[in-house]
Amino acid sequence: MNKEFKVLAKPYMVWLSVLVFVPIIAMIFISFSNLNSSISVSEIALSLSHFKLLWESSTIIAFRNSLIFASATTFICFVLGYFIAYEIKLSKFKNKFILLTFVILPMWSNLILRTESLANIMSENNILKSIIGFNIFGNISGTWMAVLFGLVFTYMPFMILSVYTALEKIDYALEEAALDLGLTPFKKFWKVVFPLSFKGVVTGSIMVFLPTLAGFAIPKILSRGRIVFIGNIIENKFIYTNYNHGALLAVVILIFILGSIFLLTKFDKEGETLL
Amino acid sequence: MENNRASIKDYGYRDFTKLNKIYSIFKKVLVVLIVLGLYLSIIVIAIQSINESRNLSIFTNISFQWYANILQEEELMQAIKNTFLVSSIATVLATFLGTFFAVGLYALSKKSRVLWMLLNNVPILNADIVTGFSLMLMFRLLMVVFPNIFGLFTLVMAHLFFTIPYVILSVMPKLKETDPNLMDAAMDLGVKPYKALIKVVIPAIKAGIFSGMLLALTMSIDDFAISYFNTGAGFDNLSIWIYAVIGRRNLTPSVYAFSTLLTLFTLVGLLLYQFLQRQKKGKKDEKNSFNNISS
Repeated sequence: MNKEFKVLAKPYMVWLSVLVFVPIIAMIFISFSNLNSSISVSEIALSLSHFKLLWESSTIIAFRNSLIFASATTFICFVLGYFIAYEIKLSKFKNKFILLTFVILPMWSNLILRTESLANIMSENNILKSIIGFNIFGNISGTWMAVLFGLVFTYMPFMILSVYTALEKIDYALEEAALDLGLTPFKKFWKVVFPLSFKGVVTGSIMVFLPTLAGFAIPKILSRGRIVFIGNIIENKFIYTNYNHGALLAVVILIFILGSIFLLTKFDKEGETLL
Repeated sequence: MENNRASIKDYGYRDFTKLNKIYSIFKKVLVVLIVLGLYLSIIVIAIQSINESRNLSIFTNISFQWYANILQEEELMQAIKNTFLVSSIATVLATFLGTFFAVGLYALSKKSRVLWMLLNNVPILNADIVTGFSLMLMFRLLMVVFPNIFGLFTLVMAHLFFTIPYVILSVMPKLKETDPNLMDAAMDLGVKPYKALIKVVIPAIKAGIFSGMLLALTMSIDDFAISYFNTGAGFDNLSIWIYAVIGRRNLTPSVYAFSTLLTLFTLVGLLLYQFLQRQKKGKKDEKNSFNNISS
């Protein structure tokens, strides 16, 4: 491509640098200082006083909840999502695009509304029960099972898409070769197909893990406020305009995210499986 | 000692027919269950939208009154309008800017391109809550100069921030696929570089631009967390409005009606797109085969 077009990237470089770095620096600064809306400029000083928040039991429990739920969701999404992606790849249906469309179609309707309707049918007397006569979930409203179910089926499409993208790129000749050399179909899968699709699994896992870890709407709606994620604490700090604490917690989440991005670049240099 | 005749199993053959049968039944059941899980919420929304009663826990009778009622719900209509306003501005701008940014990034050396593409992934991979919260802090600092900044402006800026990367990500592979000679040929024929870009390169990558636009629109229309932190002055989009109303347990069933209509609309749109795409392809194939015969 013509080198002259480099100029076109300049505004984006400025835009990205400003909007990626300035907010993050502001966030780090606010979490380390006593800055708030009622303080005058001369009184601003660095302080570590907000860090006490990190050792409060409510924060630790929230972090534990977020991590446990995010890990469990990622694992379940990996097992079930990989299975679906593999079935789509194997299916004799010619138009794979339509199958993928059906997988991601639910993502096009409003996330909050979908979660709310899930919460509705998880309570004891619900609209499905009044039609089909029995309760498909039992009464799990407000429990960890409700939250896990919501998270898994909300984020699974990301896993399916990433894994499918990686699976699709595998040359069938390799699979044939593996079979010709005497592997059973099962061994072929483990020794050839799975390692080649691992890039997609990593991308998919990150795309499931991160939004789950930092989410706040789904746990709040499905647990009826009983299970607190770290996102819920940040949301509360935001509502009560305690930006220092909110910023501090957001910085901690950011550290997890940077770790994941680092992991991703090890497996996938230019983000090819991101879409 | 006695039994040293090699059986077929010693050569690695195993009989899997029985296991395969069980596995294939298990597979079918699992696929059905997972698809049901994915669609459960959509199905429930659809049922709630045709329920006559306002009570969400009892199904009384089929009725389409909530569909007719959508236009009468003022708050809902306002939220829908806001959502479409923000998303259409953000999508158009993101598609236009993202395309040219992608061309610019593609013209960079490989090393700096990889670096900038990495940075381009940050808004996509960063958690919504961190993006939303940090942007909110920055806009709050700007409030010293522009006091009424929160509202439409901050929402559009925030949406641009996370939609442009998607456009770039879907345009970039198409740029890599285009023949570099195309551009040279156009310039050899005396076209200026930017005219060549518009006349030759853009048409070649238009599929990428289109899918980037769709992605940007999808992300923007359904966004909750980033918008939640960056809105102000009562400028609620649909997600924020629903989130606020379910807290008060007083959601009008018209929302379900609207959502169901939107889902059906998307489904029809996608199938139509697929159908048209196929027809185009079919025509091309016919042409190709015709050329093959005639040559």
